[in-house]
Amino acid sequence: MPYMAILRHDMKTLWRSRLVRLWLGATALLTLLLVGANWANFMDGTLIASLLFPYLVFPWFFIVVALGVTPVSGSQAETLADGILCRPVSRFEYLLASWSARVVLVLSVYLVVIIPAVILIILAKRPVPEDTVTVYGIITALGVVGLVLTFLVSLGFLAGTLLRKPLLAVVVLIFIWYPIGLILSIFSLEEFSPISLNRAISTQLRRPWQETDAGAKDKANIQDNEVFSDQVSNFFSILSGAPSKPKAAKPDFFEGEKFDDLSLFRVSLGYGLPTIASVILASLCFYWRDL
Amino acid sequence: MNLEVPRGSIFGLLGPNGAGKTTTLRLLLGLQRPTAGQAQVFGKPCGPNAVRVRSQIGYLPTNPKLPGNLRPIEYLELLGRLSRLPGEVRKPRISALLRAVGLLGATDQRIQTFSTGMCTRLGIAASLVADPPLLLWDEPTAGLDPAARRFTLELIRELGKTKTVVVATHILSDIDQICDHLGVMHEGRMIFTGSMQDMKRRLARHDFTLELDGAAEDVRRLAHEVTNLEGIDALANAGQMLLVKIADGRSRSRALAEVLKLIDASNLSLQAIHSGQNTTENAYLQLLQEDGFHR
Repeated sequence: MPYMAILRHDMKTLWRSRLVRLWLGATALLTLLLVGANWANFMDGTLIASLLFPYLVFPWFFIVVALGVTPVSGSQAETLADGILCRPVSRFEYLLASWSARVVLVLSVYLVVIIPAVILIILAKRPVPEDTVTVYGIITALGVVGLVLTFLVSLGFLAGTLLRKPLLAVVVLIFIWYPIGLILSIFSLEEFSPISLNRAISTQLRRPWQETDAGAKDKANIQDNEVFSDQVSNFFSILSGAPSKPKAAKPDFFEGEKFDDLSLFRVSLGYGLPTIASVILASLCFYWRDL
Repeated sequence: MNLEVPRGSIFGLLGPNGAGKTTTLRLLLGLQRPTAGQAQVFGKPCGPNAVRVRSQIGYLPTNPKLPGNLRPIEYLELLGRLSRLPGEVRKPRISALLRAVGLLGATDQRIQTFSTGMCTRLGIAASLVADPPLLLWDEPTAGLDPAARRFTLELIRELGKTKTVVVATHILSDIDQICDHLGVMHEGRMIFTGSMQDMKRRLARHDFTLELDGAAEDVRRLAHEVTNLEGIDALANAGQMLLVKIADGRSRSRALAEVLKLIDASNLSLQAIHSGQNTTENAYLQLLQEDGFHR
């Protein structure tokens, strides 16, 4: 019961905030503008990908991170200690409920705006060529963006708990986030970069649930293994300073339109594990803090 | 420090600003962690995740900072849910508490519009939502007008009949009115714990306190001369005060006259005479002075 009580309380408080309402309005407006402007220009997959694009980059990234910055930072810590944490609720329970409220709110705003737009795009008769967007592709693409948003909220959550000052936390995260694409490309981990993910979404949207060609699954598995082992050996060779193995040319991987070897499993791990780690670290940090 | 609070008592935690009263209470609630030792309430260790301990404590902080965006009912509802109270118990209790603290007319206002006194009264109601057996109230009369102070003190007296109440304060008149046990803290240490009678009985050792002006060496010499008088004992402290105890059976006025003669013959001048009998304030100040002198 305490978990649900705090979850409801935090969600009500967040919903009442101007930032959330402004973001909801702005994201709805932007979605409308994008759909309207590209109604007759983009195919289904490209149009849906363009709607998902702003959630992974500035300015929505900034807002999502700001929403994730915790209520245990700044002057709110005193209110929290006097009003809530002196009652029969554990710090972990409070933190988990607070994190959950933020994630639920961000995902709700995202889905409330994006799902009607996607349905409209799929069902409407538009003057563009037929596309091969699949339901599986849509669900997984929305899921991947949702996972990235959850990760961003968790990052803001951790930064706010560690740094204790909301504004400082947001500024530090911005300075860490933008070079991250460069760092990920050095270690050949582009698919974990939100920028690369953007480019892969239109491919993922067109991906069927199962490949019709029986050999394609085996080929994909072999390619998966090759790419994974290449990435691991590259990562360690850069860390150790040893020269990396010469790579086979894969021009398709770097084209904006084709990311055939995008692995949902690796992307889920790549964003899911840091999300869990952020929450655990934030809990540990908050547990040891004197209020 | 070692602190034991008798069950069912109204325990006053007394000390000057910065003595560590608030820190002690927050240690019991798990809001802060001790640098050494452990704290237990009802035999259970305290800590950040000690939910069962906090379920038995009602805490009132000094000038409580409460969630300003909520209304009183919403805030008490939240606390009721945190305390796992079922709805049929929670709702009538919240109404009764708001009526008892005089906030029934303010249920539509948000907490951020409340005055200090209203926040304190809401804090009192909040500490009683779960009907806990132990109340820890930190300076409950701080910032209150005389009528609100009286109401709060009456409430503490009433609650003390069925609960254990710990009141941290530096207002001695409050302690005098309501407490039956007290502990005195000074610079993070507990320098006295016991009943109010024990506290006042300490002064039976010092019938008078004389404030003197002059060299410390002269005060010590005077103390030595006074001690040589029959039936009189004297102690000079670091602050040029002479603490004089008169033995039972000896005339107080005659003894005082002899002491005053000695002062007159010395290089010291008398600034003030305080009678030390049965005054909590003097007992408290004396404890602080003795503690400072011994360190």
